[in-house]
Order: sequence, then C-alpha cells, then structure tokens
Amino acid sequence: MELRVIEKTEEELRLEIAGEDHTFMNVLKGALLETDDVAAATYDVNPEQSGGQTDPILTVKTESGDPLDAVGTATEAINEKTTALADAVKAA
Amino acid sequence: MSDADFDVQYIERDDRSARVLIRGLTPAFANGIRRAMIADVPTFSIDTVRFVENSSVMFDEMIGLRLGLVPLTTPLDEFEVGDEVTLALDVEGPATAYSGDIETSEPMVEPADDNVPIIELKEGQRIELEADAVLDTGKEHAKHQGGVSVGYRHLQHVTVDGDRGEFDEDETNVLRGVIETEDGDIVPTAAFDHDLSEKYPGKELTVEDVPGAFVFHIETDGSLSVEELLLRAIDTIEERADELHTKVSV
Amino acid sequence: MSYKCSRCKRDVTLDEYGGVRCPYCGHRVLLKERGGDVKEVDVN
Repeated sequence: MELRVIEKTEEELRLEIAGEDHTFMNVLKGALLETDDVAAATYDVNPEQSGGQTDPILTVKTESGDPLDAVGTATEAINEKTTALADAVKAA
Repeated sequence: MSDADFDVQYIERDDRSARVLIRGLTPAFANGIRRAMIADVPTFSIDTVRFVENSSVMFDEMIGLRLGLVPLTTPLDEFEVGDEVTLALDVEGPATAYSGDIETSEPMVEPADDNVPIIELKEGQRIELEADAVLDTGKEHAKHQGGVSVGYRHLQHVTVDGDRGEFDEDETNVLRGVIETEDGDIVPTAAFDHDLSEKYPGKELTVEDVPGAFVFHIETDGSLSVEELLLRAIDTIEERADELHTKVSV
Repeated sequence: MSYKCSRCKRDVTLDEYGGVRCPYCGHRVLLKERGGDVKEVDVN
C-alpha cells in the first residue's frame, strides 16, 4: 500500500492508494460516507485519460475539517467493524 | 458505523462448505469480504517443479500445471506469504500417480485430497520430481485461491398477506437462497423445492430483502476450513485499514 | 548425445563418420533420448 497525495486543500483530498482494488476501496468509501463531516467520498480505479492508470484514486471532500482526519476516522471505524465481526464469527 | 452489531448464524456447516447468515453488514462490506475470501487469503500451491525423470506421455509443463492445481493444506498461523515448502513425487508405471503419492517435507503442508489423479503411467513409464510450493494469494494466481464458489444472497423475508382467491390458480413462486418466515424461522429454499407455493399453498405472499442480512455460501478447496477462510478474509481488510490508518496519521 | 534405434531399440552413439545409421541393425531411424539433467519448470 503506497500512498501518493495528488491534491490536498483544506477540505478536499485526492489520494492514490497503490496496490489496492475494489475489495478495500469500496469498503473505505462506504466507511467514509458514514463518517461525520464528510460531504463526498468516491474512488476511481481507472480515471479518464489516465493512460493506463489502474491504482485507485480516493477523493474525499469534507464539510469541515481535514479530509485526512476523516480517512483516519473511517479506517478506525472499519477496524471496529472487522473486530466485532470476527468476534461474532468466532462465537457462532 | 459505530453500530457494530453483528449477528452470525451458521445455516449449514461442514468442514469445507457452509452457509452463513450475517446480519448487520453493509453491501460494501459484504462484497469486500467475498472478494477477500477469493483473492486475498493465501494458500500454498506448487510453483516450481524439478523433473528428474518424466517418461510419461505428457510434457513436464503439463504435469507442472496439474501439480499446481492440487490443493495443499495451509496452516496460516505457521507461515507467511512467500514461504516455501518442498514436496516430491516418485511413481513408476503401470500405475496412476495421485495427489496422495506426493510426499511432503513439512507434514503441516500436504495435499488436501489424496485422490486427485495427476497422470496415468503405463508399463515402463516413470515420473520423479521435486517441487516447491509457495504461499501466495489468489490475486497472484488462481491456483492460490482458497475459496472456490464463494458468494452471497440477501436473506429474504416472506410475509403472508392472506388467502389467494378460491378459484385462482396456484402459481409457482420460485425462489433461491434462504428465507426468513414471519415466525423468524430461517429456512433454506431447498427445503420446499425452491417453490414458495409448496410451503404456502393458496396464500398471497410478499417477499422482500432483509436489509443488511446476507447469506454467504462459502466453499473451500480444502486448504483451509470455512471459518478460517472467513476470519482471514476479515483480517485482510482489517490489516489494510490499519495500514492506511498509520500512514495517514503520520 | 545418446540415441535409440527405433527398430532394434538398442542405444546408439553417433560418431562423426558413421552417418545416421544404427551400427547393429543398419536402420536409419534413430530416436533422441531425453537427457539426464534435472529440468526446472515454473508453474504458471
């Protein structure tokens, strides 16, 4: 997982996450959309006219606050979910 | 997202295949787990073969391909991606070389089935080889897939609205998967021949997806147990979330 | 280089002057045998 910030402003972030695919990106996007203060979140694995780019690019816009913090919060939420789910599976 | 409230229930459970109902999932998460089970949970598979003798009717490469497709048991606690285990095969005709004839240097990693035919050898034909199995993911090569036939369907809730008109024809109402009745019973559709009119003759029904409830069908090739595959798939997603978390918080 | 005569099945070694011919039975069809080296194959 190699990260490359393509664009970063107060409330917008474009981040390339090399080596990932829909498996994780869609989960991440879903988690971001459920994060407070996130106005928009999406990803694109093959942006237009990218000349063969296939590493996904995550785009996050916040209503307020640093979008990087939003990503941090979302990943924490994913961890919470996976931990709870793993426990539920072990218990079943 | 904080309502991490999951309910997991095995509907059918075997060592190699199961049907699991999980409540509380988002579609994205369900799909992430499904994809991770197929492509991201590593298993051992033969990757390099050294042929000492091959007087069979097939080329070395063809036998190599067949060996690669033999599922090998994979205790993931003991190994990590990239680890190698050496195996050997020595069979002389007339005989059929089976996966069970493969000898292993590491008893934890052995063919999951011993009845996979590799090649039939006639009188005077012989095959002798040494092979290295490597631990890798299905993303790298399909032979490393631990999950074969992994998928999910929504749990479907069936409500009885009332009786069908006395002279209406009883129409078949075919459904596949697992249903939840009004009493909360979980019934696989196979129990009533996949036809709701068998279970509820002469009734008017409403069928709707239960939000967040997914019935996974999980079948493995024997490299891992169903529970191991599911837990490891969840783990890979967690690992990636953690990795991203550390990288963005710097 | 080792060959095998396709008629009498005996091992034949070819020399510079003998031409392609089995020294035992005179047959002119020789089969090349697989070498004794270990061959490494990548599975993919």
